[in-house]
Amino acid sequence: MASKKLLARKASDNQADVADTPSPMPLRFGDDPYVWACWLYYEDGRTQGEVADIMGISRATVNTYLADARSRGIVNISLEPARLSSLHLAQELKRHFGLGDCLVVPSDDGARSLIDRLGAAGGQALSRIVKSGDTIAVAWGRTVLAIAEQTVSNVQDVTVVQATGGTRANFAYTPELCAAAMATAINGRLVNITAPALVKSRETRSIIMQEPLIADQFQVLQAANKIIFGISSLRPNSTIHTSGFFESVSIQEYLSKSAVGVVAGRFLDGQGMPVNGPLDERTIGIDLDTLKTIDVRIAVAGGYDKVPAILAALRGGYVTVLITDAATGAAILSAEGVRPVTARQVRTRSQDDTSQAMGMRSHVKKFLNDADEVVEEMLEGLVAAHASHVMPIGGSQRSLIARNGPRRGKVGLVIGGGCGHEPCFFGYVGQGLADAVAIGNVFSSPPPGPILDCARAADGGEGVLFVYGNYAGDVMNFEMAAEMAQGEGIEVRTVLTTDDIASSSIEDREGRRGVAGNFFIFKVAGAACDRGLSLSECEMVTRHANARTFTMGVALEPCSMPQTHRHNFEIGPDDMEIGMGIHGERGVTRQSMAPADAIVDGIMDQMFAEMNPAKGDSVAVLVNSFGGTPLMELYILFRRVRQRLSARGVRIEANWIGHYCTSLDMVGASISVMHLDGQLTELLRHPCDTAALRIV
Amino acid sequence: MNGNGTQQIKAMFQRISAAISAEKGRLSELDGAIGDADHGITMARGFSAVTRRLSGTDCETLPPSEIFQIAASTFLDSVGASTGPLYATAFTDAAQVLSGKAALGASEQAGIVEAFKSGIKRRGKGDRGDKTMLDAWIPAAAAAQDARERNAAPAEMWEKILRAAEIGCESTKSMVAARGRALRLGERSLGHIDPGAASAVIIIAAMRDTFGEP
Repeated sequence: MASKKLLARKASDNQADVADTPSPMPLRFGDDPYVWACWLYYEDGRTQGEVADIMGISRATVNTYLADARSRGIVNISLEPARLSSLHLAQELKRHFGLGDCLVVPSDDGARSLIDRLGAAGGQALSRIVKSGDTIAVAWGRTVLAIAEQTVSNVQDVTVVQATGGTRANFAYTPELCAAAMATAINGRLVNITAPALVKSRETRSIIMQEPLIADQFQVLQAANKIIFGISSLRPNSTIHTSGFFESVSIQEYLSKSAVGVVAGRFLDGQGMPVNGPLDERTIGIDLDTLKTIDVRIAVAGGYDKVPAILAALRGGYVTVLITDAATGAAILSAEGVRPVTARQVRTRSQDDTSQAMGMRSHVKKFLNDADEVVEEMLEGLVAAHASHVMPIGGSQRSLIARNGPRRGKVGLVIGGGCGHEPCFFGYVGQGLADAVAIGNVFSSPPPGPILDCARAADGGEGVLFVYGNYAGDVMNFEMAAEMAQGEGIEVRTVLTTDDIASSSIEDREGRRGVAGNFFIFKVAGAACDRGLSLSECEMVTRHANARTFTMGVALEPCSMPQTHRHNFEIGPDDMEIGMGIHGERGVTRQSMAPADAIVDGIMDQMFAEMNPAKGDSVAVLVNSFGGTPLMELYILFRRVRQRLSARGVRIEANWIGHYCTSLDMVGASISVMHLDGQLTELLRHPCDTAALRIV
Repeated sequence: MNGNGTQQIKAMFQRISAAISAEKGRLSELDGAIGDADHGITMARGFSAVTRRLSGTDCETLPPSEIFQIAASTFLDSVGASTGPLYATAFTDAAQVLSGKAALGASEQAGIVEAFKSGIKRRGKGDRGDKTMLDAWIPAAAAAQDARERNAAPAEMWEKILRAAEIGCESTKSMVAARGRALRLGERSLGHIDPGAASAVIIIAAMRDTFGEP
């Protein structure tokens, strides 16, 4: 047999054998007929017969070559990871919720909208599920319409029945239109429910339901053996609110009764129990009990905001076939506490990765006396060490004022935030920079009291500028302090720093958080105040500095809190956290560890996209350690930042490399770039003298 | 003990403080999953400051509303963060609701829960479904209002309030954060209970233990 002969043959025999063949093996395949055969078959797309002709061997031998090539690992047949992942998710959803079937659309298709993709998937599924002779009920909604538009079927004698009454509302996916589109798609007989979905009163409903025409239509609906419906969330932007289908007063009442989602016009709570409210007895359409008696119940829905609603429909047993997308599917499972088999693509996380990694070491060593006293003890040392720059206001170390800072006729600059970021924020208090700083507990905003003390101490009669990072806690406390200061006749303006480009999209620039770019923004604000600009001017130029400052951070290891001595969470041995903030909260995405240059490239690509610097522009650069990353690595990062800037024709006007805004002992770094113009350059050069920054 | 409202409020704060301290670790762990792991520490610090302050104050002559005022300013000064202003505003609103009242019947007790909710909602500008402490406080306040309208007995009312808060808290597991620091996590906040909602349940349970005993 050819195969036996082949297997027994030694490599040295090949040469002679090949030389006899009519078509000598092309050079690029070396001496390996297996690779040649595989190339012809898999890459050139030849048939086995053609391969046999080309190679001058029998077809049986080709067959053996191909089989051996697979067992020897020359050829790997693999499913595309995104598809594989969605298959696993579908399997897991099916198992966990006891579904008859589940279809999960891969999430990696950025070209089409989610509704469109779900529509395509639903259309395919429906084409398989609908059989001749079926009666299929159709609910209304955008997704349902998208499905109808993408269903192709050549079944016969199918009846399509509208699952609810109709509406006067003027949108493309009314119950009438959805049912009609479906009937057209599968060439079925259309039965409309020729009554309104919502009527004025219970009495009206019972009168309408007694009409023989309506009763006939409902008889068809009762006979449905399949139903297709979407699932709506009750979040403010959902179809339920925006369609105007329901009165918003009534929706509020359902919300107050813990409703989280809507199926076929009926409200469900988080566990899938029906929620009764003012609309139920005025609704004409399929009820939940009837829905449950239908054999095949196909739900199509996707999107994170719908997770509670989809979960409700699943838990309540209203669904036998679920069609969703991979991201939503993974979210549903993780909300249920189920970890999908392959989490690579979807990157959900549970707490067990913490315990696994913590198995090696559960306790981070720290120089501490009493964990409850860390802040006070640090401040005691800090105030003593930097006595030439700062001093406590009154008796409390929680608010510090610059020596040689505030003066009559100058706008006062007050900064502040939680501690754990040293030398932020106290390090930027001093002549030519901030006048006062309010210091909170570790990673938590100071209360209004110390902030108010700072405002009073910094006020030189020209008002006070508050500049701090955009975090909910800081905003609330600084706002309360600002109100109190205004009440005392001190004018206060506020600029929130929002330099972290990873924290949300460019459309939500105002919602971003403030991180290490604070360094540049404080510097500009301090210089503006020191130059005697008015409060409005100071505010304006500080906003300008904020708008032109871009930061992105990467963490390699999380930080540990002094109180717990433990990492807040774990970053896997081969992972890094992109878009890391400065509070030990997790970043935006997790990626596989990469070389330093590749990490910088990722950051610079995103930064350039937003900053859009022209050739000849200049910038200031800050490469900042989160606390645990040494200077050696910061310089390696800076090297690549400089290469990228210079390749772009952008000049570095000034740079700082070191610990400027940290996150306790976190290992990682951030890169901040301020896109300079004449005014910013001048203010950046303005002299200052503080504990962390001195410009002469 | 229906007579002295001042003593009840004082006892309530002591119970809350003890319960929060006992659950400090768990709360911080919940927070570590989606935030910066300090929620338990912050809450414990705030409530123990309140009880210290109250035990050092001669409360006998003060009306219940004054106790809430003291708690508000103490909590605010000792906590900061976002929980500081949120609960300080809750206590201030409760003080207003109780103004001029000495004894606390079921209706006043319900009023406290509703005031907490409205204060937190106003200060935090949030709503139900945002995955915050409001997901516990809003249903709790709804249950309180419902009980008040039905003239329910305190014991039954507090069971209902607590149950509503627990369900609301559990529901945050399937939510994506829309506010606070967890907001940055997007869908990664799924599957985790919001620590602020969890601490709200602890507070409400302690309130039930104070008021709900027949």
